[in-house]
Amino acid sequence: MELHAYSDRLLFGIATLIYALVFLFGLFYLRKRKDYPRSLFIPLFAIGFTIQTLALNIRGIQLKACPLGNPFEVSQFVVWSLVLLYFIVGPALRLRLLGFFTAGLATVLGGIPFLFPQWDTIHSGGIFGGNPLIELHAALAAFSYGIFALLALFAVMFLIQQHGLRHKQIGGIYRILPSLRQLDQIANRTLWVGLLFLTAALAVGYVFWSREPESRTLFKLIFVSLLWLGYVICAVKIRRRKALTRRNAVVLILLFGGVILSLWPVESARKRSLQEPPAATSETLDPMEQINRKG
Amino acid sequence: MVKDTRALFVIGSSHHEAPLAVRERFALSSEQTMDLQNTLHAIDGIEEILVLNTCNRLEFYGVSSVSGIETAIIDQLVKKHCFERALFDQHALLRRNLDAIQHVLEVAAGIDSQMVGETEIVGQLKSAYAQAASAGTTGPVLNRLMERALQAAKNARSRFAISSGQVSIGSVAVELAERIFGNLKHSHVLLLGSGEVAEKTAQALRSRGAASIAVSSRRFENARNLAHSFGGAAIDFEDFPGQLTNYDIIIGSTRAPVAILTFDLVQRALLKRPDRPFFLIDLAVPRDMDPALQSMESVFLYDLDDLAKIANENLSQRKAEIVHVRKQLNRSAWTIWLQLNRHALRSRHLQPTENSTILN
Repeated sequence: MELHAYSDRLLFGIATLIYALVFLFGLFYLRKRKDYPRSLFIPLFAIGFTIQTLALNIRGIQLKACPLGNPFEVSQFVVWSLVLLYFIVGPALRLRLLGFFTAGLATVLGGIPFLFPQWDTIHSGGIFGGNPLIELHAALAAFSYGIFALLALFAVMFLIQQHGLRHKQIGGIYRILPSLRQLDQIANRTLWVGLLFLTAALAVGYVFWSREPESRTLFKLIFVSLLWLGYVICAVKIRRRKALTRRNAVVLILLFGGVILSLWPVESARKRSLQEPPAATSETLDPMEQINRKG
Repeated sequence: MVKDTRALFVIGSSHHEAPLAVRERFALSSEQTMDLQNTLHAIDGIEEILVLNTCNRLEFYGVSSVSGIETAIIDQLVKKHCFERALFDQHALLRRNLDAIQHVLEVAAGIDSQMVGETEIVGQLKSAYAQAASAGTTGPVLNRLMERALQAAKNARSRFAISSGQVSIGSVAVELAERIFGNLKHSHVLLLGSGEVAEKTAQALRSRGAASIAVSSRRFENARNLAHSFGGAAIDFEDFPGQLTNYDIIIGSTRAPVAILTFDLVQRALLKRPDRPFFLIDLAVPRDMDPALQSMESVFLYDLDDLAKIANENLSQRKAEIVHVRKQLNRSAWTIWLQLNRHALRSRHLQPTENSTILN
């Protein structure tokens, strides 16, 4: 069954283009050493988000499941989570330039999968077999990835501000960026919230996996657990030091790179499962593979 | 033309010639300045002398009747203040006659200042002139030159917008502090010393909501008076190292000959408050804060050169004005030069020398 209708890919593409437009709009003003006008920035961003929501919805209806079955879908879902988080926490945090950096990351994460058509391979719908445990796991994992994307943005903003202060730079983007202290505090809280969601996601995944331990995707399990461990170590270090350091900020960005990398095994595992006899149904598939499909 | 080797000269070193690390070695206290001025005046061949000593320049304005008198001046300076002769030679400025007049005018107008267009130099020049005049080290040439230079600088300032859009050190400090701490309502400021620029900087931080301002100075009375004006506390100078942990922004403007905020001191303070960085503003020459502090991740150290560079960021907007000012000062320099010569011819006091140069 051909599930990938042309329309949803087109909508994903339009949403990504709008995110790129939002980013360029912000860049245009920043190059003129001005903050961008929010009256235009926010509505444009909201249009992109609405279109992406619509695209995910269309694909979800076609799949009759949450669209998390291949790297393309996971990327789009993470981008969607990231932008959703921006709209939820942005007004509360009142962090200047957060929208600009979110638009930049959304463009990159949402745009790169278009360069690799093989990432959006056809798969059967209902990959989670209707199991509520694994559905919960997938939702938690995807949401935590969105939080870690936001955290990586805070780390980037922290490094830029710190670089400006150390190299005696003034004006331009440095003047508009939030203060080091603000970024430090927010990154610290975001890290713990992200860890909370990822821990819950892994715990649910382990419970599911313990019921069906015949795993073909042990590598993915270890990889995500290592990422979790990395975030835990980073959180403990920040707590001990009582402040975000340059090294910790770099580690947070690298860990998010690891999150992105973890999408690849989903595809390879899924391909293997498609090549195998029909016995490998959603009920008999290794739970971690199912987990991985959801990012 | 009467053969006479009398000449007006300027010798010295400023931020144009020497970086801060070198300038701080040339720094003199006001007592040392006066002492040196009197010593130089006693040298045969130096008819008039005035020493201008600010945090960014040490310059000797004088009239001599002996060629090569500059060597004697540098010898005295080196002898009294123990630094290598080669260091000064390497970073020295020398101007004679018309060039010297042009230089004095540019200094007075503030276009030779590190923060172009600043007005503090006028007060410093007036004060240096008043002290030299009362010590009797100036004479008819320097008196006339100083009076005319200050007048010409005043005219230039009123006619051209050389100070417009200028960013003060205080506003730069506020912006940097906000980039580190965000809202300043939880930031505590400690003022070491009671320099004018430091006071203005603290005032700017206070006006942006800094939680408190404390002052520590070698003269407790000064510290108390200044602290009172900010509604803050005065701290004994011996006690400030133990109280560093309570402050986020520290402004140094003492006249201490060596760094008072050392690496070890700040490192110890940071161990007690690892969650909050230090913003250190060093406005002193010689510097109050060890430059090695720059290497600490939680320390943001800005010295006078850094702040002046930032404050001059919008200098390009004023460049056209500065060209006009320089042209006007050039005309004034010519007029003063001709007047001095006429006066010299009348009194046979000063003559243009063969090597005098004419600016375009």
